[in-house]
Amino acid sequence: MSSKRNPSKAVCFYFQVHQPYRLNDLRITDIGDIGPAGYFDATKNHAIFRKVAEKCYLPANALMLTLLKDHPEFRIAYSLSGVFIDQCREYGQDVLDSFKALAATGQVEFLAETYYHSLSSLFSLGEFCEQVKRHADTIEELFGDRPMVFRNTELVFSNEIAEIARLLGFKGILAEGADHLLKGREATTLYRSPTFTLPAASRRIIARHKIHPRSTATTKILLKHYRLSDDIAFRFSNRTWPGYPLTSETFVSWVRENRGFTTNLFMDYETFGEHQWADTGIFQFLAALPGELKRQGIITRTPSETIASSGRRSSPMLDAHLPYSWADTERDLSAWRGNPLQEAALKNIYALETQVKASGNPALLDTWRRLQTSDHFYYLCTKYWNDGDVHRYFSPYESPYEAYRRYSHAVEDLRLMLERSSVEKLKMENGKWKMKVRSSRPTTNLR
Amino acid sequence: MFGWEYPPVHCGGLGVACQGIVRGLKHHGAAVTLVLPHDSASEDGVSILSTASLGVEGLIAVQTRLHPYDSAETFAARIADQQHADPLSPELYGRDLGEAVERFTASAVDLTKNVPADIVHSHDWMTIGAGVRAARALGKPLVAHVHATELDRTEFHPNAWIFAQELKGLQAADHVLAVSGYTKNLLTREYGIPEDKITVLHNGAFAAPHIDHHVERHDKRHPLVLFLGRLTVQKGVSYFLRAARKIADHRSDVRFVVAGEGYLLPQLIAQSCDMGLADKIIFAGRVTNAEARKLYQKADCFVMPSVSEPFGLVALEAITHGAPVVMSRQSGAAEVIQNSLVVDFWDTDKMADCILTVLREEPLRRAMHSQTPRVLKNLTWERQAGKIMAAYRDVIRINN
Repeated sequence: MSSKRNPSKAVCFYFQVHQPYRLNDLRITDIGDIGPAGYFDATKNHAIFRKVAEKCYLPANALMLTLLKDHPEFRIAYSLSGVFIDQCREYGQDVLDSFKALAATGQVEFLAETYYHSLSSLFSLGEFCEQVKRHADTIEELFGDRPMVFRNTELVFSNEIAEIARLLGFKGILAEGADHLLKGREATTLYRSPTFTLPAASRRIIARHKIHPRSTATTKILLKHYRLSDDIAFRFSNRTWPGYPLTSETFVSWVRENRGFTTNLFMDYETFGEHQWADTGIFQFLAALPGELKRQGIITRTPSETIASSGRRSSPMLDAHLPYSWADTERDLSAWRGNPLQEAALKNIYALETQVKASGNPALLDTWRRLQTSDHFYYLCTKYWNDGDVHRYFSPYESPYEAYRRYSHAVEDLRLMLERSSVEKLKMENGKWKMKVRSSRPTTNLR
Repeated sequence: MFGWEYPPVHCGGLGVACQGIVRGLKHHGAAVTLVLPHDSASEDGVSILSTASLGVEGLIAVQTRLHPYDSAETFAARIADQQHADPLSPELYGRDLGEAVERFTASAVDLTKNVPADIVHSHDWMTIGAGVRAARALGKPLVAHVHATELDRTEFHPNAWIFAQELKGLQAADHVLAVSGYTKNLLTREYGIPEDKITVLHNGAFAAPHIDHHVERHDKRHPLVLFLGRLTVQKGVSYFLRAARKIADHRSDVRFVVAGEGYLLPQLIAQSCDMGLADKIIFAGRVTNAEARKLYQKADCFVMPSVSEPFGLVALEAITHGAPVVMSRQSGAAEVIQNSLVVDFWDTDKMADCILTVLREEPLRRAMHSQTPRVLKNLTWERQAGKIMAAYRDVIRINN
């Protein structure tokens, strides 16, 4: 085989690892007495975490570790949400250790994201920056390197978000290779965003939360090759798909046919063993992949390596005027912002920001942030509910209405907690330890 | 087709469903001969249906005293009641339920022996015997349509004779149409009917002249929670009262309406007084279609707490008129009305919680209502009758 035929052919793998905190069956009659500890269904979250750990995280990480050792040239990247890391600490130190083992190979890159897997990029710049910073700190502490590349929740991306990432100091940012933005161009090129100036107030907020000391001159955009990514993530076990059954050899040959600088294969890590069960042969497929890539002359690179090897190559412009994502066929935000339930839930949770931050109560702050996890809003999606599709598959609740019932109770309770805590605080301030009230930071809304 | 009640003479979902099916089948070009008992029409003192007004090819009336929702006990009670008022002597048609069914069955067969049918379709246990005999006499296949079973009506304490009638008929039928997956499960589990002999056919909705536009229905002073249905054990009204008590403990402004009549009425009134709900609950009694519509429109939440509900057309009517629905998981409607909150009928804590959430959350009401057109679009009688036609064709093909 001709490993020399086209040495620049390259693949960039990135796997998303995330688990939300699902809500308890909360009751209106308990509101006011529930408190942050009671919002989340620890039993269910534990059970789901262990189930996915046994089916996916542990076997997939074990396999990856072998592959990385057997193929020193093999490279992959992960993004672990902060709430996933929190759950590892609660329910699965073994899982976290297995990721550390992967990190120790030096062949794995860990990306940055919002700690709470939130949609804060759309609602509160200050909150967004705080979450990204907390996540970067955590990743550095766990795995040694401060992340250089940013991926926003659900690959939500826009010119503004790219500009914020640039100012925060990220070298690269991930996005969906959506047809409506590429307009016939290849997703295999590295792109850049149009030059853009954020309002001074926004720049000041960003400056306070820098991830890296210096902003990047041009942040490169890595676009997901959705067709090839989805061949693995969604179609792999579909018997009615003409590509079934998919072998590594065939798949790599498709990658090889692909023109361009890099083929970016982005997917949920749960693809391996959870969305595609072990009996579909997904692990055998994965096991054969590095060898097959090498045999067909394709190298693998991490996102940072991909950016570094692009050198001074000029990047064409990708103009994402409106935010979009990697979800559904629409690739828009309607999976989280498509109906009155979602808008009400988002509005209600972000409305508490000033109060939460003024409370100075870390437990309330953490809970408020866990309620920002995008999954809560995804479970409220009704657009395909009647057809019983992927939204239903991924929801732990019986219906979007049931999801809203629980969510609205949690927010109501949190609101009461905050009111109480501010009353307490006022009492304290009027008492003998009169404190100087620090006015809460103004947060600029991006929209 | 052996039917039972037929609008405007009906007191439950069966008449509405039967009309929908007949109209839907006509839409698909089927010629329908409908055999109805005369009694249900005359009993309520409403004018008797005529062939012309129905628009079906032939309407043949058989006189019986049978009542669609009868169990043996209520039949006996009703016959006893009517001995004074009814000019027809009970002796003439038989005091005993078995005798009444037998009479309907025998007359029905006799009346249809010259009908050039390709298929015989019966509705529920009251007409299944007639269906079996007619099908046999005509040498045509029988499709038995199950809208409710004896187990649903009796909280799983069936009258042995009725259960036997159902079982015999369902076994003899060439194919069974079940009004929901819930009913199909029950037929396989409790009656041993093979799964592949049953097709699930959810009820349709009559296209409302218009789906009510969202209006802020909230009476600022007194939100209204509605129950509408027959006051029988099957409908789970007492669970509604328990939920009402819990709601009243939490919010004193909420008012409840229990609309419908039934043998439990006196008991329920007493129960609600004992529970201290006398000033919160209105028992509206029997309501006309127009009154029902008004109630749906005024309600801030509609509740269907049925213990065992093969379908539950009231839930469909409620969403059509813009009322958010909280309903029992033990119902067929929960399979198709996705824009509802679903609870186990016995879980009155959660039922109360769902109702309170609906009352508190305007976005929830709005979101639920906004999905109604999508739900109704999939549930037209034309569409459902198309599925019946397909089932007919299969049965006829297999029988040839």
